[in-house]
Amino acid sequence: MGGGFGDTQPFRTAAGGLIDRNRPRDFTFDGRRLTGFHGDTLASALLANGVRLVGRSFKYHRPRGILSAGSEEPNALVELRSGARREPNTRATMAELYEGLEATSQNRWPSLAVDALSVNALLSPVFAAGFYYKTFMWPASLWERLYEPMIRRAAGLGRAADAPDPDTYDRAHAHCDVLVIGGGPAGLSAALTAGRSGARVILVDEDFATGGRLLAERREIGGASGSEWAARAVAELESLPEVRILTRTTLFGVYDHGAYGAVERVSDHLAVPAAHAPRQRLWRIVARRAVLAAGAIERPHVFGGNDRPGVMLAGAVRTYLNRYGVRPGHRSAVFTSSDDGWRTAADILAAGGGLAAVIDTRPSVPPALRRMAEAAGARVVAGGYVAGTKGHLGLSAIQVVDGYHSTETIPCDGLAMANGWNPVVHLDSHLSRRPVWDEAIHAFVPGTLPSGMQAAGAAAGRFTLADCLETGARAGAEAASECGFTATPEAAAKTDPESVDHTPLWRAPKPRGKAFVDFQNDVAASDVELAHREGFRAVELLKRYTTLGMATDQGKTSNLAGLSIMAELTGKGIPSVGTTVFRPPFTPVAIGAFAGHHRGKDFRATRHVPSHAWAEENGCVFVETGLWLRPAYFSRAGETDWLDTVVREVETVRARVGLCDVTTLGKIDIQGRDVLTFIERVCANPFATLPVGKARYAVLLREDGFVMDDGTIARLGETHYVMTASTANAGRVMQHLEFCRQWLWPELDVQLASVSEQWAHYAVAGPRARDTLRRIVDPGFDISNEAFPFLACAEVTVGGGIPARLFRISFSGELAYELAVPAAYGDAAWRAIMQAGLPYGITAYGSEALSVMRIEKGHAAGPEINGQTTARDLGLGGMLAKKKDYIGRLMKERPALVDPDRPVLAGFRPVDPSARLRAGAHFLGRDAEPSLEADEGVMTSVAYSPSLKTWIGIGLIRRGPERHGERVRAYDPVRGAEIEVEICSAVFVDPREEKLRV
Amino acid sequence: MSEAMTSLWRPRGAWEGAARIGRPGAAAGPAGIRLSLREGFGLATLIAADGKEGGLRTALADRFGPSLPEAGTAVFEGETGLVWSAPGQWLAVAPSPRDLKGLPEALRGVAAVTDQSDSRALVRISGAQARAMLAKGVAVDLHPRAFGPGRVAVTSIAHIGVQFWQRDAGPTYDLTVARSFAGSFWRWLEHAAAEFGYEIEAAEGADQRRLK
Amino acid sequence: MRIRCPFCGERDNGEFSYLGDAAPRRPDGLDASAAAMHDYVYLRDNPAGTLRELWYHAAGCRSWLVVIRDTRTHAIESVEPARDVARARRAATLTGRADHA
Repeated sequence: MGGGFGDTQPFRTAAGGLIDRNRPRDFTFDGRRLTGFHGDTLASALLANGVRLVGRSFKYHRPRGILSAGSEEPNALVELRSGARREPNTRATMAELYEGLEATSQNRWPSLAVDALSVNALLSPVFAAGFYYKTFMWPASLWERLYEPMIRRAAGLGRAADAPDPDTYDRAHAHCDVLVIGGGPAGLSAALTAGRSGARVILVDEDFATGGRLLAERREIGGASGSEWAARAVAELESLPEVRILTRTTLFGVYDHGAYGAVERVSDHLAVPAAHAPRQRLWRIVARRAVLAAGAIERPHVFGGNDRPGVMLAGAVRTYLNRYGVRPGHRSAVFTSSDDGWRTAADILAAGGGLAAVIDTRPSVPPALRRMAEAAGARVVAGGYVAGTKGHLGLSAIQVVDGYHSTETIPCDGLAMANGWNPVVHLDSHLSRRPVWDEAIHAFVPGTLPSGMQAAGAAAGRFTLADCLETGARAGAEAASECGFTATPEAAAKTDPESVDHTPLWRAPKPRGKAFVDFQNDVAASDVELAHREGFRAVELLKRYTTLGMATDQGKTSNLAGLSIMAELTGKGIPSVGTTVFRPPFTPVAIGAFAGHHRGKDFRATRHVPSHAWAEENGCVFVETGLWLRPAYFSRAGETDWLDTVVREVETVRARVGLCDVTTLGKIDIQGRDVLTFIERVCANPFATLPVGKARYAVLLREDGFVMDDGTIARLGETHYVMTASTANAGRVMQHLEFCRQWLWPELDVQLASVSEQWAHYAVAGPRARDTLRRIVDPGFDISNEAFPFLACAEVTVGGGIPARLFRISFSGELAYELAVPAAYGDAAWRAIMQAGLPYGITAYGSEALSVMRIEKGHAAGPEINGQTTARDLGLGGMLAKKKDYIGRLMKERPALVDPDRPVLAGFRPVDPSARLRAGAHFLGRDAEPSLEADEGVMTSVAYSPSLKTWIGIGLIRRGPERHGERVRAYDPVRGAEIEVEICSAVFVDPREEKLRV
Repeated sequence: MSEAMTSLWRPRGAWEGAARIGRPGAAAGPAGIRLSLREGFGLATLIAADGKEGGLRTALADRFGPSLPEAGTAVFEGETGLVWSAPGQWLAVAPSPRDLKGLPEALRGVAAVTDQSDSRALVRISGAQARAMLAKGVAVDLHPRAFGPGRVAVTSIAHIGVQFWQRDAGPTYDLTVARSFAGSFWRWLEHAAAEFGYEIEAAEGADQRRLK
Repeated sequence: MRIRCPFCGERDNGEFSYLGDAAPRRPDGLDASAAAMHDYVYLRDNPAGTLRELWYHAAGCRSWLVVIRDTRTHAIESVEPARDVARARRAATLTGRADHA
């Protein structure tokens, strides 16, 4: 073809169709350069160019072509685009042709036409139903090394891109009165009727052109062609201000209470999305009413070689002829159990195609139709069937059995199958509802519909165009009326007559060759027979055993065929065999669409502390704590690893002064007449004696007796307290307090306000903390030890009048304060304190140093307050109130929780001072064999203590406080360490608390 | 604040480090979204004492107009108003925290007043695509038939708690988000507004220098 | 699911967190028995059908709500503020006690 793209499209009709012949579109398939037109799908463009072989099947690597013209396509799956945008398993029937489109066939090696693995077809007995469960069972050691890689190479579908997706995905919410699902004649009628009433209407349609089968059939409505009628309907809908049409949008899920999920392919019809435009958008739609007008899916016939490229659904043949101007073959045959087949024959002839034969499974054929076919030189067989096909990589002939059981071979390169239609019952079944069998139309139709939903047109089993228009209009009117609008369906325009009579043939009585039921999963009629013989007869078992109805198409063209064969084999009717459950999504949805903006850094939200900017400027290494990004430590030049830094930070705090951002603590203002009663009931320790201007440590229990959280409560005024909760539990504590206020004790006058975001909260700790703060707190506030002793709190001002709260509380064990300033001044206050502390050698310290110091002080934190420990376990039993009722009071006394053998808090030092301790190690007696029975407890937190120059740990061990001095083993099989440790007090530094009160 | 305050004690805007003045996103045509970063406003939570809503209403009458707004609504006179937040709870909004001084004393006995002026970042969202952009994050129906001027919603966007109220039929929305989430929220906003093109400006009174 | 918060209107269930059966009542006070507390903490009905349950509008107005929901179909019969329910229940209990006196 040289430099130019091929301009011949041998199967394109001379005229007609809804493609734009003035806008050619060049594309490649397996590197071959081809040309189609604007308005084509990849499938129609391939067919126009005579490409019928587009992929290899899943198990047997059989050549496969294009079966359908819609989202139900099981065969024509390709890799679309390349590089980071490569997307496997894209249905060629849904891919809109754009300039430069690149498509690659998948599941073939080395090439599509010569596929080495098609020998699998010769091994087909091995790959029969249940092969996964039977064939590769022994020896088990070969599974990972040999079988799985082999199967994956042989049976995989496409290849995912291996670079990050460069596109963006959007999410949006929409609300409406009436949601119309499907833009065919029924959907358009429903939307028009509802839209004209003034109701807010959303019409979603998965196609890029709205009209459904109206675009694919040669039909008339009120004297206009179907596609003209659809275009006029769309124009009117677009003129209505409260109607929104979402094209290229698949409604993939129905959820409770009128919620729906849909995915809009915003840019998939472009080579690259426009700047700033998303590739796809996930819609969450909330609708008061919904009209399901999703149409129907045609059923293939089950006969030998029915998977050969060139064999196609009859409706798809008409779509390619009428919408895309593409003949599916030079000389086609029609295999029909339905009047639809005859319409197909007529359309083939009208498009100038050759008609080889019409085989009708029904014994009588209307004479007029027979005359039409025979006049075109076609063979007509009534009461017969197609038993098999011939051809190498595509169809070359069919083997037809007539009513007298004699077989003849009829050459043809295309075969249209018309075996009736199945209403799309997937969406109305999403809420665990089952469709019901309608004997009159030989198909499942919607059963009890989800509340607020009604079905119309083919989706309701009403297949004629007149019925679609009428039921659609009626459903639209009803839905709008139920939303309070005045809507009346107009009398539907007159349509040309049609017959939809059909008598399905569930499978060819005597197929020649493999008769496929599920093309995508290579499940043949014989596999269903095997499942039946082996007892896997229930539909759910049939599905799992044979893989019928799995993978990307979820059995849209295959489920009923499988069920009908099982029904025949078991002698039960189809209704009692039933269907499997349909679940969202209706068609595959890219994970990216669900993730939307939540990727990479935005996978989840990040909270920044008020000192974040300073921290970033000063070598801070951050750590994620819940959603917070907390400063972990602040590296300085010359420090070689984190431990160097943390040791320096701890030593500076212990000897001089340090500043730590503790804003991540939850902070709750509690006010009201009954505030004290409330706090007394919520906290396990007493508060009645806490005077104004003082703070106290607080323990909250859960009602089951375990510790929920700890913090401090400061009394700022007569009826005004402020409580802190730990970083991890801040939200949970607020929810708990609201539960107590609203549900347990609604009679109490209590007001709760979270002030976590209002106040920047800084710990200033170390012997020079007061000296530092004296330069921050405005003159006039006395913060001397006498005026402002340990556990004092006050409202002060800083920086010349900025309101602040000062608490003399300590987590590190040093002389320490917590200063709260309005968050906007957080950055300024931090810088001011760092400057004020300069003469004293101040350091910023992060959560690592904070953690080291709290372990040195034996303060319980997250690893100890883990939902499995009681106050007594943590050594806090002595502080609990005796004379008040509070949450958790009774249940903490359960026998197991007061068992003296329960592991309780203790300290641990390695016997070898150079040994490194590990949190998570279990304690064992010196000679005990490792076993659950011998397990004495667990090391919960460890740190290298700069104060003791050795690793230290705290943990929970049986009768810990009674065993100081005893040696046990810290057993850590996961990391292969076993270290002898000595039990000691959990308070390693300043056990008499002399540093706190100076 | 005191005039004598040193330059060290300068407040830092909630959007600082997250948002910058500019006109990013799709460039063709006028910006579909206008984002006005507001700083320096006053906010306070008012929580009625048990059974004291009537007293609170009376006590507020002089300050904020005739009535406490009903659930899901807000009342404003200029930039001063009351925004419903939760049953028995309102947000008092004023141009400056100074305007809310004295409120705790004025409402003593009828409501708990908690200063929240620094707790949130506030952005005013307007422009032809304001509704469409907000609908990307908000699961609340914003159609004029369902949500008009004076309406308030407490909900979440991209898993971040937000409270917003509609100022006018334009539509213009004032949206607040917890201060610590401002950066993450802004990244969502950039994502949602990009296809429309958007313009970011500092509201009057904000320190423009620091947003450039 | 969509839950109609009496204050905020209809919202996605993602805005709410679930607690469970609203029937158990906390035995308050120092004279409450351990057995009664055990029942309150641990015993729950688990009906296939209508259940009164507690939900918390965490991402909204932070109201605790009593939702009557069919556990089989998710159909929601009513949503009330838990505080109102608790107050009414308390009033009824007090009246009951007065009647006994």
